[in-house]
Amino acid sequence: MTILPGGVLLGHSLPLQQPEFAVNTKLVRLGKMDENAENNPEQANNKAEDAEEAEGELSVDDLRAELEKIDVQVPEVEISEVHLQQEDMYSEFPVSYKENTNKEKLILAYAENFRRQYVHLYRDRKLLFLNPVNECGMEKFVSTTIRPTLLPFQELYSYENCAEFVADYLEFQALDPPVDLPNQLVSPTTALKRQKGNSFDFATLLCSMLLGAGYDAYCVSGYATREICLMDQTRDVCPLMKKKGELKSEEKKKEVRKYQVKPPKDLRSKFDLKMQARREAEEEAKAAERRREEEARISELEKPKPDALHGLRIHCWVLVLSGKREVPDSFFIEPLTGNTYPTEDDKFLGIESVWNHQNYWVNMQDCSNGCKDLSFDLGDSAKWEYLLHSSEKPSLEIPDVEAELYEGLDDDEEEQEDEKHLEMPPSWVHPILVTPKEYETRCPLGKKTILYKKARLEKFARYLLKDGMITKLSAYDDYELKNLVSAKEWFVNRQDKLELRVHNHRTGLITEYMLQGRLDCMKEHTYKSGSPGPETDRTMVFYDKARVDGLVKREETPTEMTEHFKDRDDFLYYRHVLFSKRMKKFGASTDANHRPILKITERFHRNREKPASEDVSECVFHIAEDRIQLTFHCEDNRVTASTREFIKPPNANDKSQVITMTPDMTSTFQVDTTKKSPKNLYIYNMLVSLVEAEDQSVQAIRASEEEIKECLLERIREETVSELSISVYDTERNEKAKQHRKELERQQLEEKLRRQEQELDYLAPFLAQMGDPDKIARQQAFKLKEDCLADLKQRLIDKANLIQSRFEKETQELQKRQQWYQQNQVSMTKEDEEEYLAYCSEAMFRIHILELRLNRHKEMAPHKYMALEQKIRTDGRLSDYF
Amino acid sequence: MSRLYDTVEPAVIDEEMLQKAVEEQGPKDEAGRIAKQEGIDFADVLSLRLDFKNILKIDNLWRFTSLTKLQMDNNIIEKIEGMDALVNLVWLDLSFNNIEVIEGLDKLTKIRDLTLYNNKISSIENMDALVDLHVLSVGNNELDQLENLIYLRRFKQLKTLNLSGNPFCDDPNFKHYVIAYLPTLQFLDYRLIDENTRAAANEQYTYPIQQLEHNEEQARKRIEDQEAKEAEFSLHKGAYVENLNGSALFDSMFADDTEGPKLALLPGVDELLTAYKEKYTAICQQIFEYGLKEHQRRGDEVSGFQTAVDEAKEDNRNMGMRKINDFNDYRRKLFTELAQSSDQAHIDTSLEQHNKEIDKLWDSLMALEMQLVDQLEDTIKEFERNMADMVSTFVENVQALISQCRDLENTHNEKLLEVAIVTLEKMVKNELDDELPDDVRMLFVDKDTITNAVGASHDLHLLKIDNKEDDIITRANNWLAALMERVHNEEEVKRNRHRVSEINNFIDHLREEVETFEIQAA
Repeated sequence: MTILPGGVLLGHSLPLQQPEFAVNTKLVRLGKMDENAENNPEQANNKAEDAEEAEGELSVDDLRAELEKIDVQVPEVEISEVHLQQEDMYSEFPVSYKENTNKEKLILAYAENFRRQYVHLYRDRKLLFLNPVNECGMEKFVSTTIRPTLLPFQELYSYENCAEFVADYLEFQALDPPVDLPNQLVSPTTALKRQKGNSFDFATLLCSMLLGAGYDAYCVSGYATREICLMDQTRDVCPLMKKKGELKSEEKKKEVRKYQVKPPKDLRSKFDLKMQARREAEEEAKAAERRREEEARISELEKPKPDALHGLRIHCWVLVLSGKREVPDSFFIEPLTGNTYPTEDDKFLGIESVWNHQNYWVNMQDCSNGCKDLSFDLGDSAKWEYLLHSSEKPSLEIPDVEAELYEGLDDDEEEQEDEKHLEMPPSWVHPILVTPKEYETRCPLGKKTILYKKARLEKFARYLLKDGMITKLSAYDDYELKNLVSAKEWFVNRQDKLELRVHNHRTGLITEYMLQGRLDCMKEHTYKSGSPGPETDRTMVFYDKARVDGLVKREETPTEMTEHFKDRDDFLYYRHVLFSKRMKKFGASTDANHRPILKITERFHRNREKPASEDVSECVFHIAEDRIQLTFHCEDNRVTASTREFIKPPNANDKSQVITMTPDMTSTFQVDTTKKSPKNLYIYNMLVSLVEAEDQSVQAIRASEEEIKECLLERIREETVSELSISVYDTERNEKAKQHRKELERQQLEEKLRRQEQELDYLAPFLAQMGDPDKIARQQAFKLKEDCLADLKQRLIDKANLIQSRFEKETQELQKRQQWYQQNQVSMTKEDEEEYLAYCSEAMFRIHILELRLNRHKEMAPHKYMALEQKIRTDGRLSDYF
Repeated sequence: MSRLYDTVEPAVIDEEMLQKAVEEQGPKDEAGRIAKQEGIDFADVLSLRLDFKNILKIDNLWRFTSLTKLQMDNNIIEKIEGMDALVNLVWLDLSFNNIEVIEGLDKLTKIRDLTLYNNKISSIENMDALVDLHVLSVGNNELDQLENLIYLRRFKQLKTLNLSGNPFCDDPNFKHYVIAYLPTLQFLDYRLIDENTRAAANEQYTYPIQQLEHNEEQARKRIEDQEAKEAEFSLHKGAYVENLNGSALFDSMFADDTEGPKLALLPGVDELLTAYKEKYTAICQQIFEYGLKEHQRRGDEVSGFQTAVDEAKEDNRNMGMRKINDFNDYRRKLFTELAQSSDQAHIDTSLEQHNKEIDKLWDSLMALEMQLVDQLEDTIKEFERNMADMVSTFVENVQALISQCRDLENTHNEKLLEVAIVTLEKMVKNELDDELPDDVRMLFVDKDTITNAVGASHDLHLLKIDNKEDDIITRANNWLAALMERVHNEEEVKRNRHRVSEINNFIDHLREEVETFEIQAA
C-alpha cells in the first residue's frame, strides 16, 4: 500500500519520501527496542537469581547464614510484586489495549511524520496532542481512542443529557501543570471505570457518546480561562436559579374598528402633563444611573482575580457542528460541567486542533481574538490542516449533481484513488458499557455538590436518600455561602407525591408542590415553618378537576378562611369566613370546640337560566348579628344591582319550630322600579331557603376545618414515614416482587425435594403400620425387614402369577379357536381362513412374549429380593441393627 | 257504565272549586298563612289536582298560565278542551274519563308525560305539537288498529308507552310490532324491553321498517330542500333582488302582454326575441349578483357598528359599576363604623360627608352617561351617513343597470316595429309566404293598428321594468329608514332614559337609607 503523505499539503519544499520511510523504519525499530526493554528487566532478574542459586550450592551453612543477613531479596521481591501488580492491572485489559495492530502502527508513524513536518514548519507553535500513551502505556492515536457508542438509555439520545451524564459521572482531576498537555489519555471505558479524569478524558468520553447518538461532534484541544479549566463555577449563576425568559406576552393589538367610539376628551392641561413627563423622565434617568453604578460595583466585585497563566491553560472540550441531528448552529460543550456555549464565547481562548474518530485537523487560523472569528468549515484546507486525506470531506459543499451522474462511470478510477488514502483504523477501545444501576447512581457514590455564585447545588442518586431527595439547591446571600436565603429540594418517587419543597428562610414560609394523584388532591401547600398546626397562616392549592367540590384554593389565617372554587353546579366561586376568638368553655368541654363564626360571605357566578334580579351574586350571613344580606346580579344593561336584607327571626335555627316572618324583617332595593314587588310568599320561601343555606355553609366550613386538620395530620404521617414508591417494573428495588419471586422459587424447590423424598422412602408404608415411630427399636427393625421383604416376595410372586394367568388365558383362547377351526374347516370362506391364520400368528406372538416375560421375571426376582435386602441393611434408619 | 260517579250530578269547574283546590294543595304552615293573607294568584300555581270531582267539562283554567302539572283523572270529561292557555304544562293526567277523541292539545308543546288511561279513545291522533313527549299512557282504550301506532314514530323522545287493555293487544304480533316500529321505546306496558325481544321484533319487521324509514327519509329530505330554498329566497328578498337570477322578470314582461305572443309569430321576430332574452337575462343576473354583494356589505357594516356600540356600552357600564362598587365599599365601612359610634357630632359630620359622596357619585355616573351619549351620537351619525351613501350608491347602480334593460327594450321595440312594417308592406303586396293565424292577421289591417299593437306591448314592458325598479328602490330606502329609526330610538333615547332613571332610582334609595338611619339614630 502506498501512502499519500500529509506532507504534500504541509510543506511543498520538503523531500517527501525520505522522512516517511525513515520514520517508518525508525518506528519499527523503536517498537523492537521497546520489546527488548520490556524483556530486559526480567532477564536481568533471572540472571540474578541464577547467580544466587549457584552461590548457595557452592557454600554450605555459614554462607547461608551470611546470605540471610544480606537479605537482598527484599527489594527484589518488592519490585517483582509491583511488576506483578502492573501485570495484573494490565491483564484485566483486553489485548487491543496492550498492543498496536499494524494499521495502528502505520497511523502512528504517519502521525509522527505529520508532527515532524508541523514542528519544522511552525516552530513557534505548541505541540500537537496526537499520540499520547493509554492506560497500558501504549502509544495510541487520539482519534482511535474515540469509540462512538450509543448507550441504551433513552435520555442519552440528546446532547444535553449526554453532557450532564458525563459531567456527573466522572470526577474531575485538574491537569498538572495546567499549561502542559497530558502525556496519558485513557480510554473512555477506563475513565468510566475509574470515574475520574482530566478534561481530555471527559471530552473523549462525551465525544464518543455524541458521535454514537449521531451528532457531528469533535474533541477540541485548546486554551480556555482558568474558571473553565478548573471547573470553577462559583462566578456563574446556577442554571436552576436563572429566571426563565419571560414569556413574551403578545399584546393583542386592539383592532381599530370603523365605528370605534372616540375616547372622551382629555381636559387636563397639556403643560402640566409635559412637566410631569419631564420630571418622571429625570427620575427614571437617575434610577437608571443608580442601577448602572450598582451593577458596575457588583461586577467589579465578582470579577475574577487576574490570572498569570491566562491564555496558556490547556483545556479540552467538545465541538458540535451544525447539520446532523437538526443542530441549527455549531456550539461548544464544556464536558466538565455539561454546559453549552456558543462558539463565540470569550471563555474559550484558542484552538490548537480538533479530532473525531475519523480524522484530525489542526487549526491554521489566528486565535488572538479567542474563538470569535473562527470558521468551522473543516473542509477548508486553508483554515484547517487535515491529517488524513479523507474521501468524505466534512465540508459543507453540496454534492454536485453532475458528479453524481458520472459517478457510475468512473467507479473503478475512484476505487483506485481511494486505495491510496490511509484510513483511520478502527478504535482499539471496547464498547462503552454503562449498566442501568451505574447510570442511575451517576455521580461517584451517588452524590455531587457544585458551588455556584451564591448558591450550592447538591445532587443525589435516586433512592440514595431515604426521603427521595434528588436535588437540593441552597441560595445564599453572600459569596462565602454562609447566609442561607432559601432552600429548594426536589424529590422523586415519593409515595406522597411531593415534588418540590421551597423553604424561604427569610420569610419562614415553606411551600410544597405535589404531583397529581393524592387523595386530597393537594397541589401546593404554603405554610410558616414556625407554626405548622391548623388555624394558622397557610395556603393550599388543589387540583380542582379532581375534586368533587371544585375547590381551587384555600387560604387561612388565624381568624379568616377563604376558599375559591371553580366550575361548580351551584355557581359558587368564593367563600370567605370570619372567625372570632374561641370562647373558653368551662366545665364539660365538648369534643368539637369550633371557633365561632362571625360572618360568611359567598359569591356566585351568574346563572343565565335565572333572571338577573333573582340570581344571587353575593350572599353575606352576618351570623353574629342574625342578618342576611343579599346582592343580586346586575342585569346586562344596568349598572346597579338589586339588594335585599333579612333579619333572621329569633327561632330560625330551631329545627322544631316553624319560621315566622313579619314584613318588617326584610328590606330591599329594587333596580327595576316598574317591576311588581314580589309576593310575601316568595320572600318567605327565600328566607326559609336562606336559613337552610346558612346552615349548610356553616357545615361546609366545619367540614373544611376538619379537612385541613386531617390533611395536616396526614402530611405529618407521610413526612415521618417518607415512603418511596417503586415501579412495578423495577425488579431491582421492588422488594415485594422480589420476595414473591424468591418465595415462588423456594416453593418450587421444596416441592421438588418433597417429591424426591416421597419417591425414596420405600419403608414409609411399613413405618406407618407401626405408627411412624421416631426411633426404631431392634425388634421393630427386624419386623420391618421381614415385612418389607415378605411384601416384596409376595409382590414378585403375584406378578409371576399374573403373567402366568394371562399366558394360560391366551393359550386357552388359542386352543378354542383351533378347535373351532378344525370343526368348521370345510365350510369356511377364504377370508375367514385368513382371519384365523392372522389370529393364530398374533396369539402365538403374544404367548411367546408372555413366556419370555415370565422367564425373565423368574430370573430377576431373586436379584430384586437380594437388592432390597441389601438396601434395608444399608438403610440409615435400620443400619444400627444389621 | 257502572261508575260510581254516574249517579252524582256532573260538576263544572268554577271559581269556588279552583279556589278550594288551590288552597288545599298550596303551601302549608306559616307559608300557608302568608299565602292566605295575601291571596294566591292562579298565575303562580304550578301544580293543580282536580280528581274525583265529577267534572264534565274542562273550563275556566285560562288563568293558570304557569301550571306545569295538572291532574284531572277520575272525572267524566268527554272532550279535551279549554287548555290552550296552559302552555307550560309538562304533566297532564286525564285518565279514567270518557274522552273519545284526542284533540285540543295543539298549544301544549312542553308536555312530557301524558296519561289518557281508561278512556274511550279509538285512534291516536292530533298530537303533532307534543314534540317533547316522553311518557304516554293510553291503556284501557278502544284502539284496534296496530297501524295507528306508526303515528307515534314522530316522538323522538318517547321512552315509555302503555297500551295494555286495548283491543289490538290480543293480536299475537302486538308486542313485536310495537317494539319494532318504535325504536326509541324503553318501557312497554311498564316493563323494560329486553334486548332479545327487541332483536326478534326487528327481525320480524325488517323489511316494512326499512321501507318506512326510506319513505320518512325522503319526506324529511323534501322538507329540508324546501326549507333551504325558502331560506335562499328570503336571502334574495333581503337583498331586494329576488327572481333576478334568471329570466323571471323577462318572462313576467310577456306574461300580461296580449300582443307580444302574436307579434312573436312574425317572421324573424323569433331570433330577435331569443337574442333579446339572452342579453336581458345577463343584465338581470348582474343586478342579482350586485344586489347580493351589497347586501353582504350592508350586513357587515351593521354588525360592525353594533359590536362597536356594544363595546362602548360595556366599557361604560364597567366604569359605572366600578364607581358604584367603590361607593358601596365606602358606605359599608361607614355604616359599620357609625353603628358602633355613639358620638352624635361625629355621626352628623360623617353623614354629611356621606351625602356629599352620594352627590359626587350621582355627578360622576351622570357624567359617564353623558359621555356615552356623546360618543354614541357621533358614531351613529357617522354610521347613518355611511349607510345612506351605501344605499344611494346601490340604488344608483341598480338604476343604471335597469336603464340598460330599458335600452334593450327600446332597441327591441324598434326592431320589432321595423319587422312589423316590413311584414305589413309584404302583406299589402301579398308577398307573404308564411301562413299567419287569423288574430295576427287582424293586426295588419292598417299601419296604425300594428304600430299601436307594438306600442302597447312596449309600454307594458316598460311598465314592468319601472315597477321592478321602484320596488327595489322603495324597499331599500324603507329598510334604511327603519334601521335608522331603530338605532336612534334604541341606542340613544331609550337607553339613555333607562340609564338615567336607574341612576336616579339608586341615588334616591341611598338618600332614603341615610334618612332612615338618621331617624333610627335619633
